[in-house]
Amino acid sequence: MFNLAFDNFNDILYMQGHGIYVWSVYLIGILMIATSFLIANKRIKAIQKKIKISNAPS
Amino acid sequence: MITAFIHKFSSPKSFVNLTEKIYPFLIIFGVSMLIFGWAWGLFFAPQDAVQGNSYRIIFLHVPSVIFAELIYFFMAVCALMHLVWRVKLAAYLIKSAAPIGAMITFIGLFSGSIWGIPTWGTWWQWDARITSTLILFIMYLGILTLHGSFSNLEKADRLMSILVIIGVINIPIIKKSVDWWSTLHQPASISVSGSSSIDPSMLYPLFISVIGLGFTLIALGILTSRSYIFTREKNKRWVLEHV
Amino acid sequence: MLRLIKAESFKLSKKLKSWLGPLLIMVLVLIAFPLSIDISQYDLDKFYFSIIVVSLLMTAFVATEGMFEEDFEDGSLEQEFLIEKDFYKVVFSKILVYVAFIGIPIAFIGALFSFANGVAIVSFAKILLLLSLSNLLLFNLFAFGNALSINKGAMLGVLTALPLALPVIILLGRAIRSIQFDEGFTAIIALMTGIGLIISAIMPIIISAVLKTHID
Repeated sequence: MFNLAFDNFNDILYMQGHGIYVWSVYLIGILMIATSFLIANKRIKAIQKKIKISNAPS
Repeated sequence: MITAFIHKFSSPKSFVNLTEKIYPFLIIFGVSMLIFGWAWGLFFAPQDAVQGNSYRIIFLHVPSVIFAELIYFFMAVCALMHLVWRVKLAAYLIKSAAPIGAMITFIGLFSGSIWGIPTWGTWWQWDARITSTLILFIMYLGILTLHGSFSNLEKADRLMSILVIIGVINIPIIKKSVDWWSTLHQPASISVSGSSSIDPSMLYPLFISVIGLGFTLIALGILTSRSYIFTREKNKRWVLEHV
Repeated sequence: MLRLIKAESFKLSKKLKSWLGPLLIMVLVLIAFPLSIDISQYDLDKFYFSIIVVSLLMTAFVATEGMFEEDFEDGSLEQEFLIEKDFYKVVFSKILVYVAFIGIPIAFIGALFSFANGVAIVSFAKILLLLSLSNLLLFNLFAFGNALSINKGAMLGVLTALPLALPVIILLGRAIRSIQFDEGFTAIIALMTGIGLIISAIMPIIISAVLKTHID
């Protein structure tokens, strides 16, 4: 079950001509998911900062 | 009795406390499953006899389309809870799940289009399932726009819940329309009960990547809902203490 | 109930723009379409329906656009809400009046033009029935979209109601195929009538819930 389906690294990238489709889809999918994690983290940081500032003892 | 129960366990405070605890486990488990499933699918699963290597898009395409629909169902359940029991947290969850749903629907549509180029020779087809997924995408955008266009947020919550519940009729139509139209799209090749028409060596990595993507999206949902809860409840005492 | 229908039709007859506008748009689109393509090259009757369906969608949207907005802004909606115990009756009669005064004339124009573009005259009644029924469905759905977005502009209305209207369009496309090939028309009309009855019973209740949220 765990036999590599490809002979070498170039084959993995090329995938008999289908590599461009497969890899572009995965690249964009991973980028979108990762970006939304980053944005969510950033938003939490921003709102925490805002709350702290607005409630800081002056 | 049931109302009291729901209200006790659905306060934003206890939600944030609970999810903060389980978040690290979810994200580690989800991402490692995703990496495992995709690595298996991309490098080790055998080539498809008909479609060649392009079928490897399935390990992203199918999970994202599954969650495009599941997230909408989740939103519909939340909408019901918001309308019936006036659970505030449910509305917050809808609002934070909608962008994730829109994103994952977009990924599903995009990966399907790219997959279509080598397999069908066209990147778009007005076929039933593709069209209804596009409708789903428009519905996510409509929900977000509706919520964004009212300054009275409580009103926006309620209107959004009504729209979500009305829109859920669309999901059975997505399923049924495949039968109503004669279509190009391959019929669903995996069923829970019967035997699958897909080889186990491809099915296992697919199954693993579905689970992995699911947990990753739950983790993402926890993050977005936390930031949204803080934004909405920024004047509450518990938020001040929590931050 | 009769009082409400009378009141609504009186109100609509005063608003020349809101009932004449959609009819004119329908006529305009149906005239412009055959002129914009080289007629000699195509069999118009084969796909003239598609433009009728699209303009049906457009006019239904234009027709329902100001449905609740004016009443909401001049306060008469709130007044009726306080007077009438069953508020959904108001919404129901409003939609009914709109379908009768705008929807059916639009269906008539559509049937007339399809007949003028080479569709057999025997199908006239079928097309009229079909378009009137789909206008009933579309007006209900777009009324819902407009109730949601009451004074927030057209784009929101389109975004919220269009996904709901597309299944109607799909069904309409199938029904038109059944007219062209003369098969299974009765079944589809029965299906559309059933859906129409269900929707025009349920939609007013939902719309009145939406309007209540706005008024509160």
